[in-house]
Amino acid sequence: MRMTPADWLDERTGYRRLVGRALYEPLPNGINWWFTLGSVLLLLLVVQFVTGAALVMYYVPAPAYAWESVRYITAHVTFGRVLRGLHVFGASFIVVAALAHLVRVVVFGAYKKPRELTWWSGLALLLVVLAFALTGYLLPWDQRAYWATVVTINIAKSAPVAGPWVADLLRGGTHLGALTLSRWFAIHVVALPAAASALVVAHLFLMRRHGIAGPPRRRPGAARAFYPDHAFRDAAAGGLVFAALLACAVFGRPPLAAMADPSDATYVPRPEWYFLGLFQLLKYFPGRLEPVGAHLLPAAVLLALVLLPWLDRSESRDPRRRRIVIGGTLSLVASVVALTALGVRNLPADAAGAWGTRALAGRAVVNGDRCARCHARGVGSDLSRGRMTRDVSWIESHVSDPDVIAPGIRPAPADGLKPLEARAVIAYVTSTRSGEPPPPVSADQERAAAVIGTRCITCHTIDGDGGRLGPDLSHVGSRHDAGWLEKWIADPEALKPEAEMPAFGRQLPPGDIAAVARFLASRR
Amino acid sequence: MNVQRRIVDEEFGPVWIERRQWLRAAIAAIGAGIAATLSGIVGGAVVATPGDRQEEQWLPAGRTGDLATGVPTAVTLRVTRQDGYYDAVERQVVFLVKGTDGDVRALSSTCTHLGCRVSYDAAADVFKCPCHGGQYSADGRVVSGPPPRPLEQMATRVEGARVLVKL
Repeated sequence: MRMTPADWLDERTGYRRLVGRALYEPLPNGINWWFTLGSVLLLLLVVQFVTGAALVMYYVPAPAYAWESVRYITAHVTFGRVLRGLHVFGASFIVVAALAHLVRVVVFGAYKKPRELTWWSGLALLLVVLAFALTGYLLPWDQRAYWATVVTINIAKSAPVAGPWVADLLRGGTHLGALTLSRWFAIHVVALPAAASALVVAHLFLMRRHGIAGPPRRRPGAARAFYPDHAFRDAAAGGLVFAALLACAVFGRPPLAAMADPSDATYVPRPEWYFLGLFQLLKYFPGRLEPVGAHLLPAAVLLALVLLPWLDRSESRDPRRRRIVIGGTLSLVASVVALTALGVRNLPADAAGAWGTRALAGRAVVNGDRCARCHARGVGSDLSRGRMTRDVSWIESHVSDPDVIAPGIRPAPADGLKPLEARAVIAYVTSTRSGEPPPPVSADQERAAAVIGTRCITCHTIDGDGGRLGPDLSHVGSRHDAGWLEKWIADPEALKPEAEMPAFGRQLPPGDIAAVARFLASRR
Repeated sequence: MNVQRRIVDEEFGPVWIERRQWLRAAIAAIGAGIAATLSGIVGGAVVATPGDRQEEQWLPAGRTGDLATGVPTAVTLRVTRQDGYYDAVERQVVFLVKGTDGDVRALSSTCTHLGCRVSYDAAADVFKCPCHGGQYSADGRVVSGPPPRPLEQMATRVEGARVLVKL
């Protein structure tokens, strides 16, 4: 008989016996869809490993480039947005699946003797998953990441005795900065994957050694092989979860706020949603009691979980005979859900979109002839890429008087920009950096924004940006219609003799005034 | 275990075999679907690397009045190139040569053999490559050594007194 390559391989590795043992493992009767959660978790972990390996080819763990490289991944890398989406949303999927798996194991009493070590390795895996989530959150180095991490480290610092020391260890120094980023990156891509791999192997080995615990009440009937019936359930559940994750990645946008700015004290940090419950818990323990909410309660819950096989030593795995454990678990789940819901409700309102009127005005200036002369022809860099390598005052002086910055060989534009136009251009470049696409605006609206963002904004505020001399224009459309506004802008004194606003009838073309009036009237 | 054996041995009748085959096919299809989607996305990101959008640039390189006829003048151009997430600034040396007809030509300083930088030896009136001894005449033709082609020429344009080079 001829030897096939598979025979050759089997003769040397004995893989057929291994595969056979893996596929035809006998499972107790009564195994159902609840028993697919572990496989779903394994699949999600593999997705994180694979997408993470691709992301790390483009990501740079340094403050100067981290944010830029993440933006590059989402904007320029082939399938980069979906790739990052899979990784970001996959993290949420893992947290949910891990908690569901844990609750299933508790309810079915599967942690009992002789499966204590399986239980512990699972708890350790849960902590590793949370550590993954925490360290990964910092890596994009955006405002969310930076300020959420500031809070995380301060929570660690508030721990009794070792707190300050732990905080320094987490930061890699006395400040949250470059060393923190590279440290958390190393933990995220080297230490945690190694720990997760080892723990998964241990968890699966122990699971196979003792067999699946099966349903809480033993059901009569012969054991059935894992393959193909339960393997099909695993595959189907995995396929559904993967399809849902893919849908999130394709249709959702993984968040990327503006680049981290340690000097911006106005930013209100918010944690990722699965830490919101812990965040909310802190609010009930103000002042000196804070360590109770921050450390004591979470530690107590963890300790109870670790000791669960000894706290519940009864033989029975039947939930109806383990009322205390089931009741405790359900109230714990209920409080986590409630705290998370309260946390979501108390979230600070999202700041107005990244694209204000000023930024839209800046876009009109940039697309106009003066900037495009150099920047659209390769002499200057492409402004729509939103790359800012200089600070704001440098850019302000450059756009006001380009000759200052690019003397000599390069032709300086004949006319610079007025300071307000310069500020509009900076707002535009900053908005481009935010990663949020510009809102769809008609030519008429763009024309109006160009006037408002470079003129009206001197005295009036719109969407939280502008001067305070005149009234806020954000909702002016609820007070006046376009016809009235048009007359008012052209000649306020005609409508109200004591008006302080100057007349713009002679300064602006009538078409501009009409466009501004229509734009403002639509602001209700 | 007896019932189980019979299923595994596929002796349980055509209904069971059909069901088993269907399950097997479904498992394989789901697994293949996930694997294909994932490798498509990851493979796309890793293999189909985003090319750098390099647009043509006309860079001012000097003034015609500063060039001596027939003598190559080295000019360093500062070229901004998008290098992934990074804006790389490269210094490229080109040689400007004014011909007897007044036309200005720009020669690349990259040796056509293996890419080393050539320099102009005024005494011998040749470009010399330091790596393998290639030599080019002042108008870029190969004089001796291994270079397979003359030095590359870039397009030039004269605007008033200024010389612009296309990169």
